[in-house]
Amino acid sequence: MKKIITIVTLIAAGTFMSCSEDFLQLPPEDSLSQTIFFETQSDFEQAINATYAPLRDLHEVGAANFQGAWGMGELPSDNTYYKYNPNYRAVQDGESIADFYVNDGNGTITNKYTTNYLIIARANQILALIDEVEFDDSAVKDNVRGQAHFLRALAYFDLVQFYGSVPLHLVPVTGRDDAALPLSTPDAIYTQILSDVNEAIGLLPSKSAQEEGRATRGAAQMLLANIHMVQENWSSAESVLTALVGSGEYDLLGDYADVFDINNKNSVESIFEVQFLEGTEGFASSFQYAWLPMPLTADQVAEITGVGNSQAANTEGFNIPTPDLLESYEDGDLRKTVSIDSIEVDETFFPYIDKFWTPHSTPQITGSNWPVYRYSEALLFMAEAVNEQGRPGDAEQYLNAVRSRAGLTPITGVDQATMRQAIMDERRVELAFENKRWPDLVRTGMAQTVMSAFGDRVKANPQEYYFPEGFGPPAAAFTTIYETFPLPASEALLNPNF
Amino acid sequence: MRTKKTLWLGVLFMAIFCGFTANAQQRITVSGTVTDAETGQPLPGVTVVEQGTTNGTSADFDGNYSIDVASDAVLTFSSVGYAAQNIPVNGRTQIDLSLSVDSQQLDEVVIVGYGTQTSRKVTGAVQQIDSEQLADIPVPQVTQKLQGRLVGVQINQTTGKPGQGIQVRVRGQASILAGSDPLYVVDGFPIVGDISSINPDEIESISVLKDAASTSLYGSRAANGVVLITTKSGKTEQGGFSISYYGGVQTVPQKGRPDLMNGTEFAQFKKESYEDLGQPVPEPFQNPEQYGEGYNWYDAMLRTAPIQSLNINWNARGERSSVAVVAGVFQQEGVMINSDFKRYSLRANSKFKLNDQLDLGISVAPTYTIDNLPSSDGAFYATNVNAGIPGGLLTNAMQTWPILPYQNEDGTLPLTAWIPGISAFPTPNWYRAAKEIKNETKSMRVLGNVYLQYKPIDGLTLKTSINGDFGNSSFFNFSPSTVSTTFAALPPAIATSIRRESKYLSWLNENTVTYAKSFGDHNFEVLGGISYQKYEADNTQLYLSNFPDDRVRTIQSALNIDRTRSFNNINEWSLTSYFSRLNYDYNGKYLITLALRRDGSSRFGSNNRWGNFPSVSAGWVFSDEDFTESLDFMSFGKIRASYGIIGNNNIGNYTQYALVDNSLNAVFGNTIASGAGVTTLGNSNLGWERTKQLDIGLDLRFFDNRVEFIYDYYKKNTTDLLFNVDIPQESGFTNFNDNVGEIEFWGHEFAVISRNISNDNFTWTTNFNVAFNRNKVISLADGVDRIFNPGGAYTSITRPGEPLGQFWGLIHDGVYDNQAEFDASPRAVESEVGTVKFVDVNGDGVITFGNENDDRTVIGNPFPDYIFGLTNDFKYKNWDASIVISGSVGNDIAVTNDQGTTNLDGVFNVLRDVKDRWRSPENPGSGRYGKTTGATFMERDWFSSRFIEDGSYLTVKNITVGYSFPLRETSFLKRARLYGSIQQALVITGYRGVNPEISTTTQGQQANALALGYDWGAYPVPRTFTLGFNLSF
Repeated sequence: MKKIITIVTLIAAGTFMSCSEDFLQLPPEDSLSQTIFFETQSDFEQAINATYAPLRDLHEVGAANFQGAWGMGELPSDNTYYKYNPNYRAVQDGESIADFYVNDGNGTITNKYTTNYLIIARANQILALIDEVEFDDSAVKDNVRGQAHFLRALAYFDLVQFYGSVPLHLVPVTGRDDAALPLSTPDAIYTQILSDVNEAIGLLPSKSAQEEGRATRGAAQMLLANIHMVQENWSSAESVLTALVGSGEYDLLGDYADVFDINNKNSVESIFEVQFLEGTEGFASSFQYAWLPMPLTADQVAEITGVGNSQAANTEGFNIPTPDLLESYEDGDLRKTVSIDSIEVDETFFPYIDKFWTPHSTPQITGSNWPVYRYSEALLFMAEAVNEQGRPGDAEQYLNAVRSRAGLTPITGVDQATMRQAIMDERRVELAFENKRWPDLVRTGMAQTVMSAFGDRVKANPQEYYFPEGFGPPAAAFTTIYETFPLPASEALLNPNF
Repeated sequence: MRTKKTLWLGVLFMAIFCGFTANAQQRITVSGTVTDAETGQPLPGVTVVEQGTTNGTSADFDGNYSIDVASDAVLTFSSVGYAAQNIPVNGRTQIDLSLSVDSQQLDEVVIVGYGTQTSRKVTGAVQQIDSEQLADIPVPQVTQKLQGRLVGVQINQTTGKPGQGIQVRVRGQASILAGSDPLYVVDGFPIVGDISSINPDEIESISVLKDAASTSLYGSRAANGVVLITTKSGKTEQGGFSISYYGGVQTVPQKGRPDLMNGTEFAQFKKESYEDLGQPVPEPFQNPEQYGEGYNWYDAMLRTAPIQSLNINWNARGERSSVAVVAGVFQQEGVMINSDFKRYSLRANSKFKLNDQLDLGISVAPTYTIDNLPSSDGAFYATNVNAGIPGGLLTNAMQTWPILPYQNEDGTLPLTAWIPGISAFPTPNWYRAAKEIKNETKSMRVLGNVYLQYKPIDGLTLKTSINGDFGNSSFFNFSPSTVSTTFAALPPAIATSIRRESKYLSWLNENTVTYAKSFGDHNFEVLGGISYQKYEADNTQLYLSNFPDDRVRTIQSALNIDRTRSFNNINEWSLTSYFSRLNYDYNGKYLITLALRRDGSSRFGSNNRWGNFPSVSAGWVFSDEDFTESLDFMSFGKIRASYGIIGNNNIGNYTQYALVDNSLNAVFGNTIASGAGVTTLGNSNLGWERTKQLDIGLDLRFFDNRVEFIYDYYKKNTTDLLFNVDIPQESGFTNFNDNVGEIEFWGHEFAVISRNISNDNFTWTTNFNVAFNRNKVISLADGVDRIFNPGGAYTSITRPGEPLGQFWGLIHDGVYDNQAEFDASPRAVESEVGTVKFVDVNGDGVITFGNENDDRTVIGNPFPDYIFGLTNDFKYKNWDASIVISGSVGNDIAVTNDQGTTNLDGVFNVLRDVKDRWRSPENPGSGRYGKTTGATFMERDWFSSRFIEDGSYLTVKNITVGYSFPLRETSFLKRARLYGSIQQALVITGYRGVNPEISTTTQGQQANALALGYDWGAYPVPRTFTLGFNLSF
């Protein structure tokens, strides 16, 4: 008996007491850890894919209280406003942007900022490590590096346009010490963006050689052109746009409505768009739902969305087209009915954005992509770049290509100032709701005058701007028109350099 | 390394089985009955110790004891208030004796870490409770039964959910992020999680180890205190069989229910709001009287519910074996509709004497619990678990318009509670939601233990044990189409379901050697040990949605599986430990204990894998000195002091790693491409939290031990706090896990135990304890001067120099009654006449919430000035009675639920006193509430002192009265007792809610130490009336 127990005990001892350090090594099994990642080509291919992922968050609705990119790209402009709902008031973030009294705790402002830095951090991680890793195919390596440079440039461009001076992170953060950097001037940031974009142009394949939906050489050229437009480097803009237009990769689609057709994603007109996919995998878009002129009954929602099992929508509608925008369409502009529709609620008609609605089967789950750059904008940039160099005549062909698709007569033989106004008017309606209006007002120096006048109209006649009887914007609205937004309070708390 | 250790172990075990057998002595089992010398009544709870060893037991309720001892041993019998006696065994197996009152000695056996000690020789801060004292309290969890009894241990029932919600904090322990729950050790096995699933009737005694000296043998897990649970083992030679049963009802007292507007009042409130706005009054509010009382939604959620418990104990002891079996059934319907808790449990502890030196013990304890608990707790926007399923059901019901029915006259249930075009939010019928949501967890837990104990020579004990804790639970939630969440669309909604399967295994192998030896008056005891523990858990969740029919709830009937909410988690940790202890005393008068544990853990970063946890303690029984002889009134006096370093390893299993999330997928065209990125920063230096604790204690007994007084002072400094330091998101990350900062804790604990009256017919014992626990933050991370509540609210602030989690907000100063007051007062940009007025704390003339010119300040403290407990036990002839009181003084509660129930927008039902709000300069109301017509958000969203209430309370936790029937000695019954009990009998408090111990997060979960004291609405704690009986055969 004793012997048996002795043996059993010794076996037990031997089994359980392998007291080496191995016993204490238990890395997570349900996720990868950095110690074993970034070692193969496939790791970097996954890493670049993850760098695109935040673009969806940047353009989607977000949580209850903040908006996607449209919340800062379109809503502050005279193109759209909100439809005040006295029974749903958890909307200060959105209203304060539209009315120009934002504070730095605003969720929309925070979301744009932090999401862009997520893209930057992932791109930095790739660029810091990719050179040390042997790829099976060096073309893949160039492609991944090109995409990383492009996405980093795109993110910094978004930041510098909306916030001005921001911290410039170019290498991965490793801990607390290197997490908070001082603010860099817009000049320094633009220098970095230009370097990244030029790098990307050299590395990226053309659209026809690239996987659908990824960054291309054309996308990088368009981004570069946009930067030149902002910096008013007209001739540089013209030269990069000439290369883009001359590449033969892009063209306008036949109909304006075709551009937003769910079957024409990443079409020949598309230069870069944020990719969404209908379904429950978590890649769907639903930004259109935030733009319903709420409150609406289930039937009214169904009428707009075309989805049978729609539910009533009871919050507040944002990005509602303004009467100003409706008026700015020339008679006969085919884009007006494609872009905007209206619905009757309590014997009043309310307009809403129609061009992004695509057929879908479940509420809040659509497959609509977000157009970042379209070829028609490249043409309008080209028109502007040559007009600004004193060649209004040369601008005509580009402007009129866009106008003719819209069913409008060509503009010919006008002077530079008239042409400038014509191009701006054209951009307003051609690119309506694509987050171009507010940056255009800022870069052309018109934000102050246009938005002050707009604010006066809203305050003078709030019911025209969808306020119910007895309500109007707060007194603080439109008192200061600013061109950049405050850095988020949550970041200011943590970065002593702000 | 491995070879060396294996060799060492080989030698150890060879030694056990070969080396010392020659010297072995004959061991026998001695049993008998202890009686009171004066009354002749059996004396329960007498401790019996084999002199010079740690071997001991205590007599049961009937005075019976049994103990294995050396045949030539001397047994010490002792009991509080009685003179101890030393009886040589001399080979006898039956020793009956009687003890007389008036003892000079104090030799109760106390269960301590890795052994037992006589209380005389304890040099740490340890408190032991025998379960006999707790038997009548009709609650499912043993920790609940301990309320009011432990000095310096705050036990709060934060929610009344059956079987849940007990928060135990030893000496005010708190941490920023790491867990603060004590370590529970069941029969020597440090278990994972708490003991809420353990049947309290299986427990014989509970020891709480509070200071570093008594806990340091638990090393990196000791800083939160250690609770040692000893389960029942076989005792009487004859064997015994007993049945305990109680049954009763629970109700929620009327006092403490929310005082909300009734139908007429609410319609009137709405009517006035429209009138004040100058808008036409909608039809439903034009005639408020039509609604009468309306519908009380809160009361509708509650009910009177039964509770019952049955326990059967059987134990037997033979020549070479003993066994104790406890079988229990506990059933509790909840006082909220559609909630219940059931537990079926069994424990069998057996011990076999293989030969004179070798003991084998085997125990197994399976427990099966079923709880069906609606997600009752939390704010109205809370959601269940990780999904869009409504939580905060009680709060939502409270806020529903009382003019709308939860039940139609024909008994059917409406689908919604809203008026189209008039209600602000689409509101489902919460009563129906509570009835129809299934939220059930079925759990099986098996605790098992096998040990071999070998005593080759007198004083030497070698023990090896294997313990296992196996759990498996299935969670099933079904949220039918009739249910939707706040702010979401009206039902019918999309039916969803969550299925979660969790299983875990924790095993421990532990090997110890103890050797006790005396040289004259020098007594030594040495302990050494090695242990290995590993934990593995696997959780799988499926989130299903779009069920075509609410009646078919199986996986295959769901049209959709939501991948983003479906997952499989694996969690593991391992711990290797070496530990040793030396106890030395000279003549039982001068006492010293040294202890050291060395822990290596998989949770610690690769650069910081091992930690050492030493402690030292000393005691002086000064009453044994000659100079105290003149102090006749003092029967015992001891001073003790201890100091040690202990750790808290509840820092998460993988916190040290930089994790790569490989679900950051992207879409390109119509293709999904897998994406992966680093989502957390790693820290290979990450380690445990370190607590240095000093304890100084004084134990005094007076008047022949009639009065006992215990005092302890402690000071703890916790450094290297696990802190998820926020870093700016410009880094691409939100935080960095680091060990930083320091918190200081200190306090004074007093306990008095007094046998006020003790004679043949009547005894009265009073036990009073009070503890003053304090904490102060010494430092946070570099550059961090404040941190707020986890989860993004800014209502509790933690700053160096102040206690943790102070309520932080504006000071409410009434309402701007009129234009003159408005013009003369500081105000916010959004202020208007008739809106809330705050104090301009920084004196800049402007009220600012947040940003640079913040007017917020500390407006309350969730920590009490002191907590106390008072227990009185009476025995008069065959009657017994006890009353247990616990209380807390000086803590504040933030009734944040008022955000909803005082919302001036008229979107919810509100408290009745909102009637007294500002309506016009002529009708300014009570000053507590502003107008309904504008800028209401300041009053609601700007956290202010209006939400703070004094949370002090005195609760009569339990009153029990029992009667034991006199029985003939020849009766087959040995004991028959009938008793009645009231639990939560009386709550005296100025706080208006039903449970002053409340503290939850917005999601209704247990609160973090940085955000204590919030009332976001929780399941009420019922008052329970029970009748019970105990029968012994």
